[in-house]
Amino acid sequence: MGVVAAGSHRHRRRQIIGWALFAVVVALIPFLIADTYSPTILGNRYTVGLGNLSQSVGLMVAILGLNIATGYSGQLSLGHSFFVGSGAYLTAVLVNEFHWSYLSTLGVVVPGLFVFGVLFGLPALRIQGLYLGLLTFAVAAVFPSIIRLDEVADRTGGSNGLLIDSDLEAPAWAPLDTVTGWLHAVPGVGSRVPDGLTGRQEEAVYKYFLLVIMALVCFWLVRNIVAGRVGRALVAIRDNPLGAAASGVDLAAYKTLSFGISAAVGGVAGTMLAMHSGFVGPDEFGFSMAILLIAGLIVGGSGTLHGAVAGGLAIQFVPHWSSQTQTLPGTDVALEGPYGTAILGGLLIAIIFALPGGAAHWFRRTKARLMPVAPQPPGS
Amino acid sequence: MPVLASVLGVFDITLDKLGDGELWLAQFFRGLSDGATYASVALALVMIYKSTGFINFAQGSLALLGVYLAYVFSVEQGLPVAVAVVCAMAASAAVAMFVERVLIRPFPPNHALPLVIVTLGLLLIIDSAVGIVWGFRTRSLPSMFPSGAPIEWGIAQLTWRTIGNLGTVFAVVGLLYLLLARTKTGLAFRAVSSNLESARLVGIRVGPTLGFGWALAAAIGTLGGALVVPDLLLEPSIMLRVLIFSLAAAALGGLDSLVGAVVGGLAVGLARNLLVTFLDLSELALATAVAVILVVLLVRPTGLFGSARVERV
Repeated sequence: MGVVAAGSHRHRRRQIIGWALFAVVVALIPFLIADTYSPTILGNRYTVGLGNLSQSVGLMVAILGLNIATGYSGQLSLGHSFFVGSGAYLTAVLVNEFHWSYLSTLGVVVPGLFVFGVLFGLPALRIQGLYLGLLTFAVAAVFPSIIRLDEVADRTGGSNGLLIDSDLEAPAWAPLDTVTGWLHAVPGVGSRVPDGLTGRQEEAVYKYFLLVIMALVCFWLVRNIVAGRVGRALVAIRDNPLGAAASGVDLAAYKTLSFGISAAVGGVAGTMLAMHSGFVGPDEFGFSMAILLIAGLIVGGSGTLHGAVAGGLAIQFVPHWSSQTQTLPGTDVALEGPYGTAILGGLLIAIIFALPGGAAHWFRRTKARLMPVAPQPPGS
Repeated sequence: MPVLASVLGVFDITLDKLGDGELWLAQFFRGLSDGATYASVALALVMIYKSTGFINFAQGSLALLGVYLAYVFSVEQGLPVAVAVVCAMAASAAVAMFVERVLIRPFPPNHALPLVIVTLGLLLIIDSAVGIVWGFRTRSLPSMFPSGAPIEWGIAQLTWRTIGNLGTVFAVVGLLYLLLARTKTGLAFRAVSSNLESARLVGIRVGPTLGFGWALAAAIGTLGGALVVPDLLLEPSIMLRVLIFSLAAAALGGLDSLVGAVVGGLAVGLARNLLVTFLDLSELALATAVAVILVVLLVRPTGLFGSARVERV
């Protein structure tokens, strides 16, 4: 393919085709893996369910939130799991005790976490760099012990966690079963699609679409924030705080704002994870999640929107697959003990070596090489 | 007084507990003993931060590996504990040097974030490797110091172990100071940590110097681990808890100050034991430490002894 000028008809058409392909893939996947998909790779059997994908959509939004404070405005926060956990627990308590619907809890989660994030951002005005990283890491490690406190344990369920009462059943108007029937009739791919959906499968497919729509809304809102005045100010603060201040950026206001938005998006991610699993437990949101989120941010590509998507997929599926690897690939040697974690650590390091700017950076470079786009000449 | 009593009542403080001198002293000694172990791991973290400008999250894991090696040398091979610990320090130093050469040096030193992820990956690898090799059964490593207490005051005991822990940490700081201030290697190390480019230009071999820093840090961390383990029991997640308190200690004292690491470690150990006992916050030991650090960092953003970063515009 030849070089295409930015903004030309051909460029527009290519963009539209790209987005349409993306939409088709996102819409088809749940039907293809409504039954779990279990490939066998090098003697190991891996099982992927739709639930894994839904959870990774929640994690994408969590990384998106972290991206605002750390990726765009450059404030190292290792404690993002605290916000995600608070959002999840807030949703769980509101649904259980006040019988709210999941989506209506967002009305409390978003403003509540925004205010919380702003308060959290106030000390971050003075404490910077790795000091902030260490402090937030410690805060992340504290979260489970706060949940377990005797004073709140009867509300939060303490160590046992909370099972959320409300089920997300597909509403009657959603034609999921009908669509499945159509797809089953399509020659070729049809054999992969079941003839119809059982109740549980229908619920999983419905949840997936609900979470994808929530994620799309979050990504769209964040894109609008980072592509505009606020985003430019945040990037300026990251790249050169003194220069930004000299250009009239109010450092204090924008830094606290970035923590507020970051926490609010993290809270939404918590609500999504609670919706996905119908359960919240204290150790889910401890410092192992904090580590995974920052790893996902770097592996995906810090300061990019694509990076949050790639990172969410990575931190869901890499641990999932490595924990299912039972034998040394290609041989019969059985692996016993916590090999999954070791593989995860190895892959993290390998990805940092292979893709130094993260997956998003690699994706952009490859795309530029395969389908070059010439910038529009000025004045045309 | 009724006001005070009601305020204290919120924290479940009984005034007679506050007046209990023996309890104070007992918790004070325990705080010193815990603090010494946090301080030694914090010293290792500070060594890495001074030379490379980032935090080695795998520091606790290298120490974990070292402590298990010490277990093998002493309990399984029958060496005296002190000798076993020294051998383990040497072994973990060799591992750290290898790790630095293979995994750390290929990255540009001025980008901290990818390096932080590499050390997090290392943390996962080493911790699970220890779990794979030695399993999750708890073991006990004997202490390097004799049991018993030379000074007793009711329930408050100043044990040989507390004295030994404190003495070890002060000895390590003293030796580190001598090494950095009086030897050629130490001079090279200081030059690299103050300005990497200029150090290279005047002919210092930067790579081996950084490798030496890593080896030294791992050896100190292993020693810290060997101090911790007799109090707790040896199992693969033990250093993770110590690491969090030590990270807190390093931040409190200032990330680039050796003295700060010791003061920070002792402060975190004391805060943990004293505040937790008298405010009855046993479930919030870590949260208490975090709150103390938050307050200190708000007043002094680079810790108690850390040097503020000067920026040229």
